[in-house]
Amino acid sequence: MFIRSMREEKKKRDPAYSLRKFAEAAGISATFMSKVENGEFDPPAPDKIKKMAELLEVNSDELLAMAGKVDPDLSGIIRDQPRAMADFLRTARDLNLGRKEIEALTDKLRAERGLDPSE
Amino acid sequence: MRVPYLHKADIEAAANELLMSYHYKFGMEEAPPVPVEEILESLLGLALEFDDLDALLNKKGVLGATWVNERRVVINEMLDPTEDPSVEGRYRFTLAHELGHWQLHRHLSFDEDGQTILCRSKSKKDPMEWQADCFAGYLLMPKKDVIRSWEEVFGTHDPYDASEELYNMQSRFDEAGEASEEGLVVDLARDLAEVFQVSGLAMQIRLVDMGLLKLR
Repeated sequence: MFIRSMREEKKKRDPAYSLRKFAEAAGISATFMSKVENGEFDPPAPDKIKKMAELLEVNSDELLAMAGKVDPDLSGIIRDQPRAMADFLRTARDLNLGRKEIEALTDKLRAERGLDPSE
Repeated sequence: MRVPYLHKADIEAAANELLMSYHYKFGMEEAPPVPVEEILESLLGLALEFDDLDALLNKKGVLGATWVNERRVVINEMLDPTEDPSVEGRYRFTLAHELGHWQLHRHLSFDEDGQTILCRSKSKKDPMEWQADCFAGYLLMPKKDVIRSWEEVFGTHDPYDASEELYNMQSRFDEAGEASEEGLVVDLARDLAEVFQVSGLAMQIRLVDMGLLKLR
């Protein structure tokens, strides 16, 4: 799985990315980690994947998506404003907004409200 | 397949060389326990996995296996120390044993299909297995570290005669009517084993080999 190749890339330069240290830092056993990397087990819970993303220094939403999951806080956001937020997302999809356009929109909103630009 | 004869000193030199290359590349503390996982994964860049080896190889009692061509080492999941801390010593020894195969045997020619697998099972003691066990002992318990720990604990270079202690242990076991499968381990070997994170028995064998411990 993709997590293995990302981790193997890191471990050759930094022994802290050994299977065991990585698994322990993510809060799972080495066997579980090994089987997730093999594709023998399904990816673990979102909080573990977020921790792995942090360790691998990659975007957690992207890593979650690769594991076929979304961050639980996103479903919370939709639940809080079910109609408006769902409409917002579906509109973006119906308009076929690309990554660049969405990012531009986000940055514009952030700038207007005095927030730092997104990553 | 013919396995070339290797003298103990050659095997010890190979183990020390591997450990030195690790410290040369990554620095880190040069105190025990020896970072076997890091040597395997970071220095040699091998893949490490845990799996149900009995099922995978359709064979019982295999503790570790190395797929040379795939640069992959698989350890029996029974030996995962993050699931069961009591197997730490046996896990580390198995890992070091597989490193022994990698360093000493990976260049030997195996079967023609090129699928080279080296296993470690409990029973088999062919020359290759013996060499890998020997390598593991040297790698996990380097001579200078053992001597240093011995001095720190006992304040002397002198060997310890444990024949009486062992005799008493033996008679206690005989009274209880049970023979220890793992062999009897004297307290001192058990204490040092903690420092090196190996089994008490592996430590005891190393100490006897170095002449620091006398059992008879």
